[in-house]
Amino acid sequence: MNIAVIIVNIALAAFLAVGLTPLFVWWERRVSGFMQDRTGPNRCNIGPLRLGGLIQSFADMLKLIFKEDFTPTHIKYKFFFTIAPVIVFLCSFLTFATIPFADNLVLDGQAFIMQAVPNELGIMWFLAFAGLAIYGIILGGYSSQNKYGLLGSIRASAQVISYEAAMALAIISMLLSYGSIHLTDMVNAQAGTFFGVIPMWGIFIQPLAAIIFIVCAFAETNRAPFDIAEGESEIVAGYHTEYSAMRFGLFQVGEYAAMSASSAIIVTLFFGGYQIPWLDTQTIQSNINYVILAVMILLPIKIFIFTRWMKKNNKSKGEDRSRELETKILTIAFWSIAGIIVATLGVFLATGLGENGVNIITAILQIGTFLIKFFMMAFVYIWVRWTVLRFRYDQLQMLGWKVLLPLALLNIVVTATFIVVGGS
Amino acid sequence: MGIKVVPRHGKSFKDKLFLPAIAGGMKTTFKHFVKNLKDVDNLKTMQYPEVQPDDLNERYRGVHRLTKWEDETEKCVACFMCATACPAECIFIEAEERFDEHDEKRPKEFKIDLLECVFCGYCVEACPCDAIRMDTGIFSFTGSTREEFVLDKQALMANERSKDLSND
Repeated sequence: MNIAVIIVNIALAAFLAVGLTPLFVWWERRVSGFMQDRTGPNRCNIGPLRLGGLIQSFADMLKLIFKEDFTPTHIKYKFFFTIAPVIVFLCSFLTFATIPFADNLVLDGQAFIMQAVPNELGIMWFLAFAGLAIYGIILGGYSSQNKYGLLGSIRASAQVISYEAAMALAIISMLLSYGSIHLTDMVNAQAGTFFGVIPMWGIFIQPLAAIIFIVCAFAETNRAPFDIAEGESEIVAGYHTEYSAMRFGLFQVGEYAAMSASSAIIVTLFFGGYQIPWLDTQTIQSNINYVILAVMILLPIKIFIFTRWMKKNNKSKGEDRSRELETKILTIAFWSIAGIIVATLGVFLATGLGENGVNIITAILQIGTFLIKFFMMAFVYIWVRWTVLRFRYDQLQMLGWKVLLPLALLNIVVTATFIVVGGS
Repeated sequence: MGIKVVPRHGKSFKDKLFLPAIAGGMKTTFKHFVKNLKDVDNLKTMQYPEVQPDDLNERYRGVHRLTKWEDETEKCVACFMCATACPAECIFIEAEERFDEHDEKRPKEFKIDLLECVFCGYCVEACPCDAIRMDTGIFSFTGSTREEFVLDKQALMANERSKDLSND
């Protein structure tokens, strides 16, 4: 039992951090396409299965794996050149390790922390590894002995000194209001509601800190509007100019892993983490039958809406009828999954659940809630990337030092005063 | 006529805050996203091989054709005007004597190398007999060898005026 929970946690963290890269690449392309009134990749397929173009990401990944891994001869320090993408990848991946997916799971009186590395470091771990990932980028550009790579590295260094201070200070004000560095405690502090209506999420407790932190998190992941280290229109490809094949792929995976980790930490700090709005852990556990019933009703409705949308929009053009076939296959697949879930839940309702069962179902529901919030935040990342233009790096420094840093300090002072006067 | 004063932006507090402008931009992109997600027919792109472009007009310069008399013989009199006008030097003509009622000279062979051709349309302008035209509407010509791109007289005469264009 002990091992099983740990394995589930690690598998979930690995899947969310790394396994979702093809999915996010696909989202990035299709969402940007739809935002610009074009389709994005929609042709790649295995038999009739196209999955809306998702197969394209797998094809691209295969291509990157089987490409020649080329190291230019002018590179003196091959070790640093090789290790740079590994640092980016590993640090972004490890950032995910302390995100709690659900409330502490109690099985046979023993409590498990639902995170990949069950330590108490919480937000400090995130700060440490998120800060380290940028050194991989700096090292990669520096060791590739290329002017563009070096320029990218310089930009990355300029970037790291401009956002990191403001980000840490924004977190400090959150620590003051939550009174803990442990992420599970933070999420539990966001249970409850204000006036019974507004969920007591971090973004409503500390809106200023939320804005500062989200802006800095965008800078930290090296994505638009702060992808100045890459800057493909000015410095070719910046730090990964000299990289090819899977080494380049590792940078890419690292970027998306960083995006996943940032979305997860933003959700955890400011959007109530795994908390279902208006339903804290105790409420779910005492009303488990109603919650199961609600899921049993809502799931088929969702599937119905989705399959109808798919039938309307997944149409073939011309002679080929494979998209209709795909729609049929997917409709059957989704309905059978929904049927199995509803049937299982029905059995649980009929036979009743033990204490462990109730706890596990609660944990699964909370993981689901976390995932929904997480995917919405990842969508926001993509959405912002295709809306906002790239900052110049002096503009980013100006923003970091002259705007965000004073605001974060002000926020700390206000929060501290409030806590001391309020006496909590 | 008065002087038009262009208002300057970026000085007010709201402009300096940036966030309202970013929110406005995000609203625009999200509107497009939802519109296209609801109904993919709103997308502006054509699914090309299945859906062909329907906006060819009279001035579109496609692959060449040689026009014909009513008895299916060529109008071309092998005057070499097109080959002289051609900036890419992709037209190769071999002339011979003609004995029917139309003319006294005809091309024995008339070749256009499409890989050399820049589709400028000067040959059409130069022709005194309206014998060469570029109104076939063929915009993608494919082949697997270089030789396939050299069109001879039969191929050029087999090309017809595009059905999408009006026939008057």
